[in-house]
Amino acid sequence: MRVPGLGSLFRWRYARPLLQAPLLVLSVVMILHGLFGPSLAPKNLATTLSWLHFRGVLVLVLLCAGNFFCLACPFMLVRQWARRLFKPRFTWPRALRNKWLSVGLFVLILFTYELFDLWSSPWWTAWLIMAYFLSVLVVDGFFKHASFCKFVCPIGQFNFVASTLSPFEVKVREQDVCTRCHTKDCIRGRREPVSDLVTIRGCELALFQPSKVGNMDCTFCLDCVHACPHDNIGILSRLPASELMADPLRSGIGYFSRRKDIAALALVFTLGALLNAFGMVSPVYAVERWIARLLHASHEAPVLGVIFAFFLIVEPLLLLGLAAWLTRTWVGGANGKSTRALLPLAVRYTYGLVPLGFGMWLAHYCFHFLTGLYTLIPVTQNAIASLGRPWLGEPRWTLTGLPANVVQVIEIGFLLLGFAGSLVVTYGLAEDDSPDRPLRAFLPWAAVCLVLWCASMWLMFQPMEMRATLMSG
Amino acid sequence: MSACTATLLIASCSRPVGSSTFVAIEHEISPEPARVGPATITLKLTDSAAKPITGAYVAIEGDMSHPGMSPRFAEAKETDPGRYEARLEFPMAGDWVILLHVTLSDGKKLERQFDVRGVRPN
Repeated sequence: MRVPGLGSLFRWRYARPLLQAPLLVLSVVMILHGLFGPSLAPKNLATTLSWLHFRGVLVLVLLCAGNFFCLACPFMLVRQWARRLFKPRFTWPRALRNKWLSVGLFVLILFTYELFDLWSSPWWTAWLIMAYFLSVLVVDGFFKHASFCKFVCPIGQFNFVASTLSPFEVKVREQDVCTRCHTKDCIRGRREPVSDLVTIRGCELALFQPSKVGNMDCTFCLDCVHACPHDNIGILSRLPASELMADPLRSGIGYFSRRKDIAALALVFTLGALLNAFGMVSPVYAVERWIARLLHASHEAPVLGVIFAFFLIVEPLLLLGLAAWLTRTWVGGANGKSTRALLPLAVRYTYGLVPLGFGMWLAHYCFHFLTGLYTLIPVTQNAIASLGRPWLGEPRWTLTGLPANVVQVIEIGFLLLGFAGSLVVTYGLAEDDSPDRPLRAFLPWAAVCLVLWCASMWLMFQPMEMRATLMSG
Repeated sequence: MSACTATLLIASCSRPVGSSTFVAIEHEISPEPARVGPATITLKLTDSAAKPITGAYVAIEGDMSHPGMSPRFAEAKETDPGRYEARLEFPMAGDWVILLHVTLSDGKKLERQFDVRGVRPN
């Protein structure tokens, strides 16, 4: 926020709408082209922008900066307009004030992505975007605050988990200033002195800045920055992943180690990365045919269900269960914790897998993004030419992106970075959890990281095979 | 040579084509099933009386079903009356869509497409 130009932009009250507006226009273009443009995915803006450029830019921005996509989220701009007409009356149900619903939706999106081959259908991609807009309007039309962002949005949850590894965070500059502050505008909102009406909103995600830790649940909306009367909140640099290594009480969240729902989210984030990549390599078809024969299934859904159950239920039960048991056995004898339950142990250390998962998402999404980087040019040329005015010239379909062998080196780099990050975070967790014998606590989880990293590397070297016809071949 | 044969749309449609144009296009692809690498696409163009259509210009475009993959282009040469052949490279395994851009000898243009599903890896 001290950077000339950029700082004053973010401090400006209308910075967010300014960033949201272009993305809203882009979303509308994608919807229209998805519905009425070419049916071939490589020639349509909806599929090209959604599944190549958006995902690639998203993970790179999360890696290099922070959760700036949520800041520029176009869905929230529409929500703001809608809330001028309809004021929400209800509070989000207490039973749903956790991540379980969004974990389920995250898995559902991964499942439908594979089942309906969303990447190959501009039409379905357009409907997915429209469904998102509709969901935001319905949820935040009925429920107060940022219920959709905090409890529903699967993209937001992805961003929250990934941004725990980002180098920037919205936080206070000096705690002393907050200690002396009596108005707490960052959470209550800035109010008119007489009428007590809120003029600048406080945090809608219940993150009280003085006790906020890390990026989890922070949409970078900058409401707190604008509300703070002391200019004491900014976008500040920090050590990536540092928030995963400790377990302090976090405002709006509680303790990570007691949040099974957030641990489940972290697990789906990590294993979902492998699952999503597994869906695009050749061995998946042999596995699917084998499962289909076993089940006598002629439809893809039950076969995919088995694969998802293996990746998201059986695999974590085996790997994390074994690692937790080993940790308890090896460490327990020394400090008298041999009666520790396995589940809290697994929850505690699951956060160490997040860097590995993010490495895999980076490798996967950047493969598509970088190898298809320039395809946006001919697709845009074609879209404009189809309007009868080829202002950008005839489509240059030969434009693609970086060579696959160059991108593969970058992919290996991301996977190594993720592996190293997971080892560092896991060791930090082991030191925090078992200060007497951190190495013993660390080794089982390091082995889990190694297994998952080897699986990621194996996946990356498999021949890619993009098919929408899994069961027929 | 194992090959699959399919007949594409009988009456021309959608694109700028004379309304009375009637073209049947049969296609074969070799090897079958297609694998990563070069493939030979053979097309047989006939009119409503099943007579070969000669002198057509046929441009072939191969697209993957996934965005981000550049299309592959080839031109088909007439090897026998009404029979056109082209070599097209499949650089990646998966589902491909083949677009045919046909210009008949009288200048009329047609577009057709067919799927090549499950191109196998080597």
